[in-house]
Amino acid sequence: MREYQEKYLKNLRRVYELSAIPAGLPDPREYASERALRSRELQKLKEENTAMLRRELFPLLDNIITALPGEIQNLEEFAASMNDRGMYLDLGLCWYLHNAIITYARHWGERDLLIRHLYHGAMSLFYMQEILRRAERTDHCRKMSLLFGEAASYIRQYDQIEDMETRGYIHRAMGNLALAYAGLDEADGRRKLSAIRRSLQILEDPVYHEKSPGLPWKLYITKSHQERTTALGVLRAGVADPQIQHEVMVSAEYVMDEFSRRPGGQVPLRWRYAYEAAQYHCGVRTLSYLLNWLEGVYMERDEQDYSPEGFYCNMFLPALYASYLDHSREDLYSKKYVLSFMYRRLEKYVRRMPDHQLSESTLSNLLACLQSFVEYPDGIQEKDFIMTLVVCRSPDGYAASYMAAQIARRMVKRALKDCPEALLGALGLNDAESLRAQRGSLEEFVYEACLLHNVGDMAFSNFRRRIGRSLLEEDENLIRCHVYAGAKLLSQSPSTRPYVYAALGHHRFFDGIGGYPAEYHRSEDPNVMLTDLVSAAIHLVRLMDDRGTGPDGSLPLDEALAKLRSESGTRLSPVWCGLLIKMEPELREYLRSGQAEAFQAAFRLLRG
Amino acid sequence: MAFARGSHALIYHNSAASPLDPETLFESLTAPEAGAFSAALDGSPEAPVFLHVGEEVYDLLPVPGDSAVCCLFQKVTGYYNRTRDTLDQAIMASQAKTTFLSEMSHDIRTPMGAIVGLTDIALAQEGAPTKVSECLEKIKVASGHMMSLLNEVLDMSRIESGRVQIQAEPTNIADLLHEILIVAKPQAASGGLQFVLDMGRIACENLILDAVRLKQVCLNLLSNAVKYTPKGGRIELSFAVLPAGDDTVTMHVQVKDSGIGMSREFLMKLFTPFEREEKSSVHKIQGTGLGMTITKNLVELMGGQIQVESETDKGSCFTLDIPFPAGSDPEPDGSLKGCRVLLLDSDERQAGLTLALLEELGLSCDWASSADDAVMLVNDSGILGTEYQFLLTADKLQGAEMTILLSELRGRLGPQLPILLLTASDWSQIEYVFTRSGVDGFIPLPLFKSKLAQSLSAHLGGGSRQAIAEPARCDLSGLKLLLAEDNELNREIAGELIGDAGAEIDFAEDGQQAVDMFAASGPGTYDAILMDVQMPVMNGLEATARLRSLQRPDARTVPIIAMTANAFVEDVKKSLEAGMNAHLSKPLDIDKVLSTIDGLTRGRQT
Repeated sequence: MREYQEKYLKNLRRVYELSAIPAGLPDPREYASERALRSRELQKLKEENTAMLRRELFPLLDNIITALPGEIQNLEEFAASMNDRGMYLDLGLCWYLHNAIITYARHWGERDLLIRHLYHGAMSLFYMQEILRRAERTDHCRKMSLLFGEAASYIRQYDQIEDMETRGYIHRAMGNLALAYAGLDEADGRRKLSAIRRSLQILEDPVYHEKSPGLPWKLYITKSHQERTTALGVLRAGVADPQIQHEVMVSAEYVMDEFSRRPGGQVPLRWRYAYEAAQYHCGVRTLSYLLNWLEGVYMERDEQDYSPEGFYCNMFLPALYASYLDHSREDLYSKKYVLSFMYRRLEKYVRRMPDHQLSESTLSNLLACLQSFVEYPDGIQEKDFIMTLVVCRSPDGYAASYMAAQIARRMVKRALKDCPEALLGALGLNDAESLRAQRGSLEEFVYEACLLHNVGDMAFSNFRRRIGRSLLEEDENLIRCHVYAGAKLLSQSPSTRPYVYAALGHHRFFDGIGGYPAEYHRSEDPNVMLTDLVSAAIHLVRLMDDRGTGPDGSLPLDEALAKLRSESGTRLSPVWCGLLIKMEPELREYLRSGQAEAFQAAFRLLRG
Repeated sequence: MAFARGSHALIYHNSAASPLDPETLFESLTAPEAGAFSAALDGSPEAPVFLHVGEEVYDLLPVPGDSAVCCLFQKVTGYYNRTRDTLDQAIMASQAKTTFLSEMSHDIRTPMGAIVGLTDIALAQEGAPTKVSECLEKIKVASGHMMSLLNEVLDMSRIESGRVQIQAEPTNIADLLHEILIVAKPQAASGGLQFVLDMGRIACENLILDAVRLKQVCLNLLSNAVKYTPKGGRIELSFAVLPAGDDTVTMHVQVKDSGIGMSREFLMKLFTPFEREEKSSVHKIQGTGLGMTITKNLVELMGGQIQVESETDKGSCFTLDIPFPAGSDPEPDGSLKGCRVLLLDSDERQAGLTLALLEELGLSCDWASSADDAVMLVNDSGILGTEYQFLLTADKLQGAEMTILLSELRGRLGPQLPILLLTASDWSQIEYVFTRSGVDGFIPLPLFKSKLAQSLSAHLGGGSRQAIAEPARCDLSGLKLLLAEDNELNREIAGELIGDAGAEIDFAEDGQQAVDMFAASGPGTYDAILMDVQMPVMNGLEATARLRSLQRPDARTVPIIAMTANAFVEDVKKSLEAGMNAHLSKPLDIDKVLSTIDGLTRGRQT
């Protein structure tokens, strides 16, 4: 690898370290100053990386067709070094590199190179898609499938391809066609099974084994069966398709046997679960058997086990358990205490989790718990649970939301005094008297809306933390999806549902022209004036944030208010901009200790 | 005189020119005449009936009894002679009125065209004060109404003066019906109505008819249905072409609505000019009262019949039966047999019809009802080596953004495969969007076998296939572009791909050269500039800034498109800040390049 590449990778690792959640619970004021130092270093590293890419990489990509073979080989190495079995150091750049190599390979007819990078390009899209799936988006699904499909179509030139590794890529691409079908409906389930069936047909064909004896056929076959068991998600979602049930059971059995035969005979928990669940979905076992089994393995596991098995058990089993209860009204109530116990244990587990261990799959497991959260009227409220997770994943983010929440609360108080008409219609209150009578509810609403508005960002936190350069368009598009993820998470439970619009609409401009997402329609938001208020408070805090998240870095209050004035009526509601400007002395007073208080609140919550 | 009804039926359908002989009155009556007279007695004839007996003229007053009708005759010779002169004068006055209206309408219509056109231009101007825009909107609505009134008056006067002639020529009814639907369906949709098309048997797809007049008739019935059906209602169009003789068919068209309907009384006057029903719900709707008269006259001129059934608040049903000579349907192209088609359509009913027709034509077809299915089938065909010869696609697909999906499929399937769009929309309105997504042509819905075969044949081999074999799908003919790119091979490739779309290209090797070439060219020489960003001597950003600051009229307006591997969000911003109009990341997606050029230059031309 070239020197700049080594340096780039080193910087990426440092960026990841610097973005880590602080160990222990430091003093809030010390933390704030230490954080400012970290932010500066982060900024410097990102600038250095961006400059290196501009200087060294982009000129080559600009003329990729005329790149020399050695340069292409170097790019391959660079891309490979950023991927450690799915743990990408820089996912966006990886896709960018593979796409460039695909262009080169297509142009010069370099078939083997093309097949390899169709596969790797599709894989990087797959990992991006896995993140997007948390926002129920399928932006990269088709492109990924088409790239895998193109690589797989070289099966027709199999005999002309001499390189064994390239042949392997063809089989892997064929098997991975199933990855595009992650939906939990019957149609996607059937498509997934159909893709795996075709792949298995070839993988189990002795003719191919004879042609490519060096390929790890057994591994490919096992992986295909493992992938097929993921169709359990479709069955869990309530689809009762005999073919899916049958094939999932066959694969679950296969995987179980395969692991049992290995030295030690230890079968990982996820495959044991797949086996038991397949038995239930095929009618061999009852639901109460499965629930008891899940309870048993859960209780056996140490509540501080942060090994991969521990993660699966402590974080994913509660999600599985809840999703089964959700389909059985009787069990839903009889198992209330079991589930509540699991949630409490999960809260503690996440609070104590060593930061570096939160991989993308662990994060997915955590989000799955939120997706399947069962909220009992007198039980744990999802909004409280979510706030704990938000603070665990990003104390800085929580602190910013907390400051916005405090400001929003003050705005409501002031509005009720100065301009109650601006709140008419909020929470269904249509006259000034009712608004004043419900001041507490209004304050609580905007307070919680601010705390919860950015919950979707949690789904992208790992991805965001790894970005050690300026954003690529793909990165920005992906990160913007946090508003969908937030809206999706908050739409699950009664305690969080009122805040869906704040999560969806806080980046959409008041004039409806700028910002995102287009799916937020003011006319559909029953509390649009409160969403506007919350957006204004959030934006003000963002402008002053010393993490450098704002568009102009960290601004002092007067400059931030001047910026608000310039964005009044376009980005933000003129009513709330005007109010914030009027509130300058009050805000200045609050900001004297506001940030320290916010960190204190974050750490208090983090301690539990 | 008194006559019993039934047993002694009478008729006196005569005139002064052929008076009845009182001696042979009964004998002279034929059975049909007797029937007509009988009917006249039953109902209430609108015009007085005069009986000419010799030099005298009588009128009659029917007096219904229990088992017979008495007719009282009264001599009105003097009254008749006096009123006849008045009647003649009235007829002449009416003809004068028709001529006047016709000429006046014609003369008013010309300046109305200017009013309508200029209003549209004024509305298209950005930044007009709200009040002005509101006034312009009102002028647009009022002038639109006035235009339709003038057109109907003109039509009516042409019909009354016998100047309308039916001009029959071979017509494909697939095209005809498509043209009717692209007008009627959006009208129904904007009125919040459900529109249902019920296709009956189609005995022949090519007929000899006057397409303009037939369309006018059908659209008049459909637009009435839309006008008189409240939001949430339903309009059903039934269409069939039924065999009627060796070389003749009968076109059967039925327009049924669930609207406000008509009273029995008004039905009697439905086809009378300027008649509109006197009720509040009708008064709110703009209309001249001429449409149905014109429709009936045109149908009769074509040799057909129109029937109407209606009930107040229940809806109306108009039925047309018009005979037409059958044309000849071409034989399907045999070379289509065995071709494989991928059909992309989430509408199960429409997909079923399309599949059946494809099967009749001997093609084998895979059906994808979703984007995921389509991708899966494309991947399967790639793996199995069973490539498709055609991709037929609906213009909408549940859960997929079609333009993105089609671009992706085009990228995967290569430039050779014809992608044809099945659409009930006006192709001219959607052509731009879909061609830049890789679509080669369209087939109108509702789908007819001959049209389907013709479209598929046109894209299988042959002339148009040659064009398809070229990767360019946007037509950039007539455009002259300046491409600034320092890499020779990149220049060559971009030049070839863009050149294939018909554009003429001049090349610059760096930013300075691009600025010099632009400065040395005459104003308007270049329709767009494609600018690499990283170039020696002068980079693309600086070159753009220099270009924009040149003192010539097109320096500020010529579209400049960045083509660069610099894909950071801030790079996009920098390009735009430097004065570029778009930013395309390398490696270039040629479809995106062409569509961006097309979009920016098309905007300029219009």
